[in-house]
Amino acid sequence: MSKALIEVDDLSVTFRSEHGRSLRAVDDVTLQVAEGEFLGLVGESGCGKTTIAKCIAGRVAPSAGTVRFDGRELGARRTTEDRRAIQMVFQDPYSSLNPRMTVRHVLSELLTVHRLVPRVDIEARCGELMTLVGLPRGALDGLPSQFSGGQRQRIAIARALTVEPRVIIADEPVSALDVSVQATILQLFEQLRSRLGLTVVFISHNLAVVRHLSDRVAVMYLGRIVEEGSREQVFRDPRHPYTAALLASAPRLHQIELVRPMVRGEPPSPIDVPPGCSFHPRCPRSEEICAHDSPRLERIGACAEHLAACHFRDETSPEAVDQP
Amino acid sequence: MTPILEVEGLVVEMRRHRTVFRAVDGVSFALERGGALAIVGESGCGKSLTLRAIMGLLPNGGRLAAGRVIIDGVTLDTGARGRGHGHGQHRRMSIVFQDPLSALNPVATVGNQIAEAPRHVLGLGRSASRARAVELLRLVGIPDPERRYHAYPHELSGGTRQRVMIAIALSSDPSVLLCDEPTTALDVTIQTQILALLAHLRVERSLSLVFVTHDLGVVSQVAERLAVMYTGRLVETGPTASLLAAPRHPYTSGLLAAALDVDTPEREPLAIPGSLPDPLRLTNGCAFQPRCQFATPECTTTDVRLELVGPDHQAACLHSDVLSAAQAVGHHV
Repeated sequence: MSKALIEVDDLSVTFRSEHGRSLRAVDDVTLQVAEGEFLGLVGESGCGKTTIAKCIAGRVAPSAGTVRFDGRELGARRTTEDRRAIQMVFQDPYSSLNPRMTVRHVLSELLTVHRLVPRVDIEARCGELMTLVGLPRGALDGLPSQFSGGQRQRIAIARALTVEPRVIIADEPVSALDVSVQATILQLFEQLRSRLGLTVVFISHNLAVVRHLSDRVAVMYLGRIVEEGSREQVFRDPRHPYTAALLASAPRLHQIELVRPMVRGEPPSPIDVPPGCSFHPRCPRSEEICAHDSPRLERIGACAEHLAACHFRDETSPEAVDQP
Repeated sequence: MTPILEVEGLVVEMRRHRTVFRAVDGVSFALERGGALAIVGESGCGKSLTLRAIMGLLPNGGRLAAGRVIIDGVTLDTGARGRGHGHGQHRRMSIVFQDPLSALNPVATVGNQIAEAPRHVLGLGRSASRARAVELLRLVGIPDPERRYHAYPHELSGGTRQRVMIAIALSSDPSVLLCDEPTTALDVTIQTQILALLAHLRVERSLSLVFVTHDLGVVSQVAERLAVMYTGRLVETGPTASLLAAPRHPYTSGLLAAALDVDTPEREPLAIPGSLPDPLRLTNGCAFQPRCQFATPECTTTDVRLELVGPDHQAACLHSDVLSAAQAVGHHV
């Protein structure tokens, strides 16, 4: 792996709930993202994937652990430079854009505040950014309400690119879009990555999207990374029963037979995480050891880059469970 | 055998500001007894409004302008707008919505919500309706139903809430279950559980299903018949397997080409050019024509209707034969 651009070490984030109980959204996560890499972060709702993203972007302060960028530790208060370097794109392009600001206003304000180009060049730069995200120059005069969902997401991406970031963290950027326009946004991410050499952390619950785009994949469950590896390692040979279950449950276009559910029940509340392996109450493979001994994220066999947090990671994938 | 549900020429007019447009425009289909039909389309295509119109639950600003709904041979009185159908009629079908948290009553226990229909519609006594609610909770796969009877919706997880919604829908013993994106708000591992439950109920209760979704990936699991909807009209209907394998409407083939499949990551998804038309500015001719690669001048003027293109397979396209020829020579369209 080439040099790590982002290094997350032993990161934990604890939120306080109303009743004074604490909720561990991220639990001791260690993760690296190499320069120019496309990392897919996968997991179901509430697993902590967005919280990790926000920690990396400096929007949430970690309770423990560190985030390093380009070898330097990023503190709780970041410099303008550091904030510029890591930008986020959000799920819902309807609520993440100011409805009263034209696209030109949004972009030129950023260019001015960050003194990125001389005043006379602002208009030209705005035009370039539009071209980069595949919108006509005329779109600069529009308000967000005049655009479709896909176009708004392009505007949100243009906004992130205005400050010339090195890392884009995209949090479910196509989940709110219709299928017929999703593809254009995914292609845009691929283009930007090859053209600008961007490093991308792509958060999604959609395995098909992640498999299509990512170099490396990390799967999360209840605040922890349970499996990590190259795209092909994780998708072809999942070693954590949760990854296998996610993969089996993914909607498939030509799946004629009903999928047999692989896991029982639902994720427990992150306030009451089960002891031992947090997946064991739902796991088809669980044994006694799983109930009290929490497995660490460790390499599978001799493979340095494929890791899983399961006591049985060296065995093959489990079978489906029977359940009405 | 007569179909359990027949929908004929359904037209829903919606008022937006001062203009009125047809959000559902002449939708017709028949559902066999014990059958399942999936209606697929993108946001705003009118798929949910179709379900609501069948149920007699159109939102404010919506009006059923034409059409008939016949259930089990009985034509429903569709005059009563916004309040559902009258007694005796609404027993025959129930609806499950996408978001159980906003559909459930937050201040009533789930047990009481399930027992309501048995008590007030079926006329069972207090203890009988309560026993029935417990039995329904068990049927939908909720563990420890006697205890869960007393739970409030906020105490339950998303998947369990959706199971409760299904229990409520089944409480009046319907023969048709209308499902409006029932798994869209759920995680995939829970989605498979709910789909398995619906399949189980179809057999156990001989239920017929109409399942509305935007996700082509789930349709083949839930329904053997598929209808594709675009701007208020059905553009293609037929057996799910053959329709997905050999679509005859360019919109259906476009949707398939745009969708990613987890098993074929190397295939580049192809977006459908352009975007959904404004429903207020629909012109004559085919609504999909501005985005269609096969469009010819005729498409802008001809009012295309569903026509038979294969065994039990209909498409509303002047060029449906071009599409089938393209597939025959292996073109990816």
